Amino acid sequence: MTKRGKAGVAVCSTAFETLGRAQARALGNAGLPIAVIPHPFGSRTRDEVREIAEKCAEQIASLVSRGAE
Amino acid sequence: MSTASDAAATFEAPDDLETINRLYRERRWGDGLPIIPPTAERVARMLRGTRRARHDLVANIAPGYGAATVERIAINAVLAGCEPDYLPLLIAATEAAVEPQFNLQGMQATTNPVAVWVVINGPIAQRLGVNATFNCIGQGTWANATIGRALRLVLQNIGGALPGEMDRATHGQPAKYTFCCAENEEANPWEPLHVERGFARGSSTATVVGAEGTMNMNTHAKDAAELARVIAETMTHPPSNEYVHGGEPWLILSSEHADIFKRAGWSKMDVKRELWEHSKMRAGRLSAKEMERARASRTEELGELTADTLLPISPNPENVQFIVAGGPGTHSVYVPCFGNTRAVTRPIRD
Repeated sequence: MTKRGKAGVAVCSTAFETLGRAQARALGNAGLPIAVIPHPFGSRTRDEVREIAEKCAEQIASLVSRGAE
Repeated sequence: MSTASDAAATFEAPDDLETINRLYRERRWGDGLPIIPPTAERVARMLRGTRRARHDLVANIAPGYGAATVERIAINAVLAGCEPDYLPLLIAATEAAVEPQFNLQGMQATTNPVAVWVVINGPIAQRLGVNATFNCIGQGTWANATIGRALRLVLQNIGGALPGEMDRATHGQPAKYTFCCAENEEANPWEPLHVERGFARGSSTATVVGAEGTMNMNTHAKDAAELARVIAETMTHPPSNEYVHGGEPWLILSSEHADIFKRAGWSKMDVKRELWEHSKMRAGRLSAKEMERARASRTEELGELTADTLLPISPNPENVQFIVAGGPGTHSVYVPCFGNTRAVTRPIRD
């Protein structure tokens, strides 16, 4: 998406951050912004997920606006 | 694909096996076992096993999308101890593994232990001595051990799936070192796998399967229906990617078990249908989370899922796959698959 001039942010959990960054490098997009949420994700309660999502949305907004500068 | 690509890098190293192995260990270019140093001479000898040009691009391998040229595949074949004759088979297995329906990206980067199982059919199996009988997925046969190992090294060294980095497997499994065998076509009372998949009987093929593990089934059952029932019950387990996603379960039937089905007048399709029917599992046996995942994955296929829905292990009976292999004995093997994957067969060409 970023190569097409659109804002793009990947979201992954901490356990997959290494993979995400390595794969972004391998695909020639080392600067890909990645919003990282805590792992594990699947066993969280609905309230915990909501809290994580709110923090993540802030992180995404910050990464997108940084990319637009 | 036949695009030319860059030559592999070379480096100077002392002519000493221990030193070179230490270097490979430090740089994480191996699988944890000692390697054969891929000197220029050994790689050149390996390349004589194929008519394909040294720098032909065979595939780009996920998740790092490294360029698997014929030369780079040959280097990994040397590392693993392959004979030059094995190279065309390894190239075919590499081509098969990158087909989209195999989902190599998912397999290479997952927390699941999935390994790539290579099944060889056709005359090449005998010519190269790929074991299809006693202990065929165990130790002891050079071709089985080194071909499976070489494919793993291709996936790791060219694909970049290093454990703990892009390979995120929670535990992995021993089959990630090597997993390769041939079908025992002479002992198969039906058509062999490659013929079932549309290839001529006299052709040679490599089939790749995303294998989550192996579960042995020792049963002295002599009745076809009873044998199918106990195999189907083995396949049925709630924490299974196959039930969540609609998989492609595989079996390695011993010839003794295959003969029981054949003597009862069952076709290959009859066996598949029986196993598919009897392995249906009440969706309520899934954990609540797996139920949510199954709903996300299979509602389009099965409609609204409730606790009483009988979940088939795969979308259709045709998805149940098996080969006949192994020595004498009352054992067969269930090979659960990764779920989001379909096996791919490619012809082996010189």
